[in-house]
Amino acid sequence: MTAAGEAHRLLPRPLLVAVTVVLCAMVLIPTAYILLASLNTDIGVAEGQFWPSTFSLKSYREIWTTADLATGLVNSLVVCACTAVASALLGTVTAYVLVRYAFTGRLTILRGLVGLQSIPGTLMLLPVFVLFSSAGNYLGIAMVGSRWGLFLAYLTFALPFSTWVMVTYLRGLPRELEEAARTDGAGTAVVLLRIVLPLSLPAVVVSGIFAFLLGWNDVLFASVLTRPETQTAAVALSSFSATQEGGAFPVYSQVMAAALVTAAPVVTLYLIFQRYLVGGLTAGGVK
Amino acid sequence: MTDDRREKRRRGVTERQRPLWLLAPGGALMTVIIVIPLLLAVYLSLIDLDQYTLRRWLQAPFIGVQNYVEAFQSGLPHSMWISVSFAVIATIATVPFGVAAAVATQNRYRGRGLVRAVFLIPYVLPSFVVATVWRTMLQPDGIVNTLLARVGADGGLWLSGPASYWTLILVEIWAAWPFIYLMALAGLQGVDGEVHEASAIDGADWWPKLRHVILPYLRGPVLLACLLATLSHINNFTLPFVLFGAPAPDSVNVMPMIVYVTSFQSLRFGLSAAMAIVSLLLIAVPLFAYLRALRLDVHEDGDRG
Amino acid sequence: MGLRRTRVVVALASAAALTAALAACGGDDAGDGGKTLNVLIGANTQYPQEFQAWQKAISDKFQAQTGTAVRFETFASANEELTKIQTSVVSGTGPDVYAVGTTLTPTAYSTGAFVKLGDDEWTKIGGKDKFVPATLGISGPDDTNQIGIPWVSRPFVMAYNTELLKAAGIAKPATTWDELARQAKQLTKGDQYGLAVAYKDNFDPWKFVWGMSMQAGNPLVEGKTARLQDPAVKKAYQTYFGWLTTDRVVDPAAAGWSNPQAIAAFAKGRTGYVALTSATGAKALDEGAVKGKWSFALLPTVPPGATARPANGVEAASILSGDNLLVADYSKNKDLAFQLVKLITDQDAQLDYYRKLGNLPANAAALKTLESDQRLLPVAEAAQKSVATPFTGAWADIQLALTNVVVQSIPDLSGGSLSDAQLDSRLAAAQKAAQSALDRAK
Repeated sequence: MTAAGEAHRLLPRPLLVAVTVVLCAMVLIPTAYILLASLNTDIGVAEGQFWPSTFSLKSYREIWTTADLATGLVNSLVVCACTAVASALLGTVTAYVLVRYAFTGRLTILRGLVGLQSIPGTLMLLPVFVLFSSAGNYLGIAMVGSRWGLFLAYLTFALPFSTWVMVTYLRGLPRELEEAARTDGAGTAVVLLRIVLPLSLPAVVVSGIFAFLLGWNDVLFASVLTRPETQTAAVALSSFSATQEGGAFPVYSQVMAAALVTAAPVVTLYLIFQRYLVGGLTAGGVK
Repeated sequence: MTDDRREKRRRGVTERQRPLWLLAPGGALMTVIIVIPLLLAVYLSLIDLDQYTLRRWLQAPFIGVQNYVEAFQSGLPHSMWISVSFAVIATIATVPFGVAAAVATQNRYRGRGLVRAVFLIPYVLPSFVVATVWRTMLQPDGIVNTLLARVGADGGLWLSGPASYWTLILVEIWAAWPFIYLMALAGLQGVDGEVHEASAIDGADWWPKLRHVILPYLRGPVLLACLLATLSHINNFTLPFVLFGAPAPDSVNVMPMIVYVTSFQSLRFGLSAAMAIVSLLLIAVPLFAYLRALRLDVHEDGDRG
Repeated sequence: MGLRRTRVVVALASAAALTAALAACGGDDAGDGGKTLNVLIGANTQYPQEFQAWQKAISDKFQAQTGTAVRFETFASANEELTKIQTSVVSGTGPDVYAVGTTLTPTAYSTGAFVKLGDDEWTKIGGKDKFVPATLGISGPDDTNQIGIPWVSRPFVMAYNTELLKAAGIAKPATTWDELARQAKQLTKGDQYGLAVAYKDNFDPWKFVWGMSMQAGNPLVEGKTARLQDPAVKKAYQTYFGWLTTDRVVDPAAAGWSNPQAIAAFAKGRTGYVALTSATGAKALDEGAVKGKWSFALLPTVPPGATARPANGVEAASILSGDNLLVADYSKNKDLAFQLVKLITDQDAQLDYYRKLGNLPANAAALKTLESDQRLLPVAEAAQKSVATPFTGAWADIQLALTNVVVQSIPDLSGGSLSDAQLDSRLAAAQKAAQSALDRAK
C-alpha cells in the first residue's frame, strides 16, 4: 500500500464514525440475537426471549451429532473453494477476451450472460438433474452424488457473474502494460497470468467470494445432487430445521449454533483474502 | 468478422492473434449446464407434465401454449408485479448502505479489517437462517414488538397481510446490502492515488470530492451490482418461503413462491415451467433496455482514451 | 511485487486443480453394484443419537441377514422429499425405499412410480394382519390398489393443563367443540388463556376444518366433487376463527403463531389447552414450566353447534397421520427392499423405534404392548379413531386451498373480526382451486 489513499479521508471523521457505528449496529444486533439464541433453550427461543434465562453451550456440542455437519463442512469447503478459484480464473479469461478483442457476437454474449443470471433455480433443477443422471446412465459418468457434479453446476452458475464483474473491472485497466509485455514477446497466457490477474485482484476476489457463497448457501441443487457422503454444509444445516407436523419441537438453538459455526469458515476466509480486495491499481510497483 | 477495424493494429494485436479459443471452456460449460437444460425446460413448459405423467414424461401429451395461457390466467401477473416492485425497492434501498460502507472503510484505521468482516456477516449467513431469525424476532409477541411496545408503539402483524410486503423488503435489505458494499469496495480500488492528491490540492471539500471525483468511479460497478442484485432479489425464494411459509399472504406471493408451489406442492411441472419462462422473458426485456441505456455493455474505448 | 502476486495466483490455481481432482476421486467411492439399499426417511432432530443408533441397528441386522448394507438418506421437509421423489421418478434412479407421510401418500400413488402391493408382496412383509387395521386406511385408494406399508402413526391430540382445569372446576377435558369453547372461556382470565392455537402454521389449520366437517358429515371430497362451500365447512372456519375474534379465549398474538409457538405458550403453564399436538410434543412440554402438570386428551368429536354427532357424521378424532413405507418401482432390489420393510415393521424393530423416538408403532402386536402406558392412552385411542383424508392425487392442492383461507384471513382476525362476505369469497376461491385440482385428477 502506498500512502496516497490514507492521507485524504473520503469522509470527515465524525461522519465516518457515525456511518460505521450505525452499520455495525444494524448487522450486530440481529447477529447478537443469533448468538444469544444459540445459548438459549429451544422453548426460550420459541417464546421470543432475547436474553436467555439460562445460558448453555449444549447446542454447540449437539450440532455435530444431530446432522453430519463435519462432513458437510469439509465437502462444502472443497467444492466451494474449487468453484471460487475456477470461476474467478475462468471469468477473468473470458472477460479478458470480451473486453480486449472486438468480434461479431461479442455484445450478444455479454447480454446473454446477464440473461443467464435471471434464470430461476427452480426452473433449472429438474432439467439439470435429468442431464446429470443421463450422464450417469448413458455415459457412465457418475455426476449425481459426486462432488464433481456439484462443482460443475456451481461453477457454471457463478460464471456469468464472475465474467461480468471482470468485464467491468478490466475495462478500467490501462492497456499500456499489456502492450509493453506483448512487445517484449509475451504470449496471451503470460499476459493474463503476469499482468491482468495481478492487476485485477480486487475484482478476482469479489467474484471468487461470490462464487464461493453461491455454492455455500445453495440447498436446492445440493439436496438432490448429493448423497449422504457428499452432502454439503447447507444441506446439513437445513436438516436442523426439520420438523414433523404438530409436535416435534424445532431445535432453534441448534439451528442458530450451526449457522454461526458454518458462517465462521467463510468469515475467516474473507479475513484472509480481504487484503487482496485492496490493491490493484493503487498498489506499488505497478505505476 | 469483416468489420474488424484497422485500429486493432495500433494495439499490436492482429486479427489472427485474437485468442477466441479462450472463450471455449466457459462457453462449453454454459452450453451444457445452462443452455441445454433451459431448452429442456422450454420443452417441459409445452407438455402436460404433472404427477400423473411425470413417470413417462417423454410421452406426456404436447399441449402447446396451453400452460402459458393458464399461467396468465392464474396469479402470475400479480406475482410478477410484486416481485419486480419488491426487487427494485430493495435494490435502490441497499445502494446507500453499500456505498456508505465501502467509502467508510476505504481509509485505513485500527480495526478496519474487523469492521469489514462484520459488514459481510449478513451476506454470509444462509438465507434460511436469516429468515428464521427475523421470523422469530418479528412474531406478534417477539422481540421487535416487545421493544416497540416499550416506546409506546404498536408493531402489529409483520408477517401477515399487507405489512408482510414491507417486512420482506426490510429483511432483504438487511441481508443484501453487503453485496453492493463488496462491489463498491472493489470499484473504489480503481481510484488512482493521484486523483486523491489532485482533489486534495484543489482543496475540495469532502462532499464535492466524493460526489464528483470518487463516485463516478463507482458508477460501473454499482450499476452492475444493482442489476445483479435486482435479479437475485427477483429470484430469491428461500427468504419469503421461510419468512411467510406456503401458502404465502397474497401481498408477498412473489414469483419464485408461486413457481415453487405450483411445482412442488401442486406438482404441475409443466405449468410451473411455463410460469418461470414467462417471468424470465418479462424480466429479460427491461434488462436489455437497462443494459443499453446505461451503456454497461458497450466498449468504452473512448472513455479513458 | 508483481512477481509475488503471480506466484500467489499460480499457487492458488494449482491448489484448485489438486482439490478438484480430489473432489472427483472422493465422489466416486459410491460406485456400487447393487450391494447397498438406499432408504429415504425424514430427519429427526429431536433425538438424533437415538435415530442414528436405530439406523445402525437396522443396518447391522440387515447386513447379517442378507449381506446387503443399508444407506439411510434423510430429508428435512416434505417439500424436500417431494423434490427428491420428483427427480427420482423422472430419471428412474434414486432411493429404493421411501418413508412418505400419510397425506403425501396419495400424491406418491398418483405418480405410479411405486410398487403396488399384491398378495405376494404382503406375504413378503409378513402379512397385512400384522398392522393396526386403521393404519392401512391410507395405503391406497382401495384394498386391491395399495402402495403404502404402515410404519409409524402420529395421531393428533390436544394437551391440557391439569392444574388450571382443576382450579377452574373442570372435571374432565371437553369432548365437543362447544364444550371446549365454554371451558376455554372459564379458563381465560388475566394473563391466562383458555386455548393455544397456531393460526399461522402451514399444516395445523386445515386439520381443524377437516375434522369438524367430517364430524358434521361432510368429507370435503365426494367422488370428483369438492364440497368446500358447504355450511359445515363455513361453520368450522367460524368456530376456529371465533376462538380468537368472538370468544377471545386465545392470546391475540396467536394470529402469528406456528405450532411450536403455540406449544411453547402452553408449556409456560398459563394456558388451559394446546389445541393440536402429538406424542412427539411431550419432550418440549416436559422442558417447560408445565412439566408434570399436563396430560393428553382426545380432540372433540362432536361438530360445533351440536351436542351429539349427526347420523352421517364420522367420529374423526384425528387425521390418519404417520408415515408409510413405499418401494420404488424402478428399484433393482425390490426383493431386498421388501425384506428390509419386513424387518422395520416387525414387532421388535417397531418397539425399538418407539422407545428411541417416541413414534407409535403401526404393528398391532407392538402397539398392544404399550397399552399399559397411561399417558399414552388418549394418543392410542386417537390412533384407533383416526380417519384417512380423501385418497386423491388432488389432495395436496385441496389442503393448500384450505390453509390459504386461514392465511389470507389473519390480518382480519387480528383486526378483531372477519365478515361473512370475506369468508364466503375466500371459501369460493378455495372451492374453485380444489375443484380444478379434482378435475385434473386421473
